[in-house]
Amino acid sequence: MKKSLFRLADIFELSVAYAFCFSLCLMFDYVKTLEMTSDILTSFFRNFLKYQTMIVILSTFLVAVFHYQFSCRKKIEVFCRILVGDTLFNITVRYSLNCLMVLGFVYLVFLATNAYLGFDLTKNLYLVLIFIVYILISARQVRKYEAL
Amino acid sequence: MKLFKFFVSKIFLRRIIPGISIILLICLSNYITFTAVRTVFSTYQGYQEIRGLNQDGNYIANLDPNSTIDFGAIELDKTTEVYNYLSSNFDYAFYVDGFMVSIPNRDDMEISLCYMNKAHYDLTQFNLSQGTGLTFDYRFDGNSEIPVLIGKGLSKTYPVGSTIDLEDPALGQEITLRVQGVLEQNAYHSNYYTLNSKSYYNYSIILPVNEEFLNHANLDLRVNGLMDIVILQTTNEKISDLRAVIQNTLGLKLNFFGQQDNNEYFNEYYFHSLKIVAVTSVILLLLITCLSVWNAMVSIRLMLKDLTINLLVGLSYSKLRKMFYSYFGILFLINLVIVFSITALNRYGCWLRKDTTFVTYGLFGLIGIDWLSLLAVVVTDIIIGVIVVECMLWRIKKVPISLGVLQ
Repeated sequence: MKKSLFRLADIFELSVAYAFCFSLCLMFDYVKTLEMTSDILTSFFRNFLKYQTMIVILSTFLVAVFHYQFSCRKKIEVFCRILVGDTLFNITVRYSLNCLMVLGFVYLVFLATNAYLGFDLTKNLYLVLIFIVYILISARQVRKYEAL
Repeated sequence: MKLFKFFVSKIFLRRIIPGISIILLICLSNYITFTAVRTVFSTYQGYQEIRGLNQDGNYIANLDPNSTIDFGAIELDKTTEVYNYLSSNFDYAFYVDGFMVSIPNRDDMEISLCYMNKAHYDLTQFNLSQGTGLTFDYRFDGNSEIPVLIGKGLSKTYPVGSTIDLEDPALGQEITLRVQGVLEQNAYHSNYYTLNSKSYYNYSIILPVNEEFLNHANLDLRVNGLMDIVILQTTNEKISDLRAVIQNTLGLKLNFFGQQDNNEYFNEYYFHSLKIVAVTSVILLLLITCLSVWNAMVSIRLMLKDLTINLLVGLSYSKLRKMFYSYFGILFLINLVIVFSITALNRYGCWLRKDTTFVTYGLFGLIGIDWLSLLAVVVTDIIIGVIVVECMLWRIKKVPISLGVLQ
């Protein structure tokens, strides 16, 4: 992380954004497993469960917000790094790897939680794919800051 | 206005991703508030309805969930014995719904028939929009007309005074009904032990049940009637005898819950469930508020230069505050329209599916509890809006104008 664009606060922020999306998915799966004897609770949660995938996918927009603001904020830093000899390719690869590391760590935590609770481990895999797409798009955005 | 337009188009909407994100967050918070408040209101309505029946000395029947019923073994004569025993020893409120018939009507809906006796009718107290109330002293001889109440949906096809010929599924014979009155739109009946679920009477016919009618009724009506029967002004001992009679005669194991049992049940079951709904919703709303504030802070980080330049050239903080409130007001309005549309589409879906017991009348099909829930959404939006806008201004004020411009 020595030459990384990420500061500790950024890593924390990104982790929280990832964790929010994964925990939303986990929460839905958990509610599904509850044996609800109350009709009120059943009908209340049914209103959300029927839109589960849509809610979870839309929540990933928070991660998109993070990537967007991060790449905007780091515009000057990227430019300065190139001035002092760094290459755009290296910056982009480092940025992508850092994001993937954070994603991998958060995913593993939730994978372990899913395994502990006995849920299907592949259920939130689609989120990882969405996040990888976001990382690739934002990495492309970072490449635009070569000439400021 | 010109300045506001400039801010929205050149500053707020230039950072489109945080803008979309805040819209999605508000949409989720609105949906949570709407669903939770509607659940609470709907349960409260059901509770109010059952309060009329749940009086001291009244016992509401409910089929024992652990019992198994062999409908094939129940004989019609045996049910007559039970009803004779009921008539000679108790006053009871009888109510059965869900018998469907097809009669011509403007919207081509199937019609739900609801049967109730005088005691139940007196306790329910329907509001009528036309005509007069039910009478129960008609003679049932196969040729006479039975006075009925109908829902609003049938009132155009069958105005007060007109007759309806149909084959009654509970009697298995042709009968003639005379429309005595029209119920107010969206009159409803809540399930005794599922208070938040209700069926609307807009496409229903309410038939008065007297002893003669019951004597001609088939097994289905009689057995179903026993499942939800309410025994009025009696004692625990007499109820124990009745339970034994029903079990010995029909093999049906019914539980009879008195006022105290019901109150305990409602306290334990409903209030506990409502508490979970409220706590879950509040936690989710707090989480969404935090995420909205984070999102707002991100927006400020990105817009800081534009905002501080405008502050440098004379924009006052109070004007900026007004613009933020107007901007969020528009976002809230968009989301309110989204929630409104989802609700209207759900209500309209019942019409498309021809879901007789769920179709409702109102502006875009929305009924009272929907409007109250939308009002709660507006209140939540105002609270979230004030928190987010004040946080944004606090963040802007913290940055010296010169530093902001340099950024």
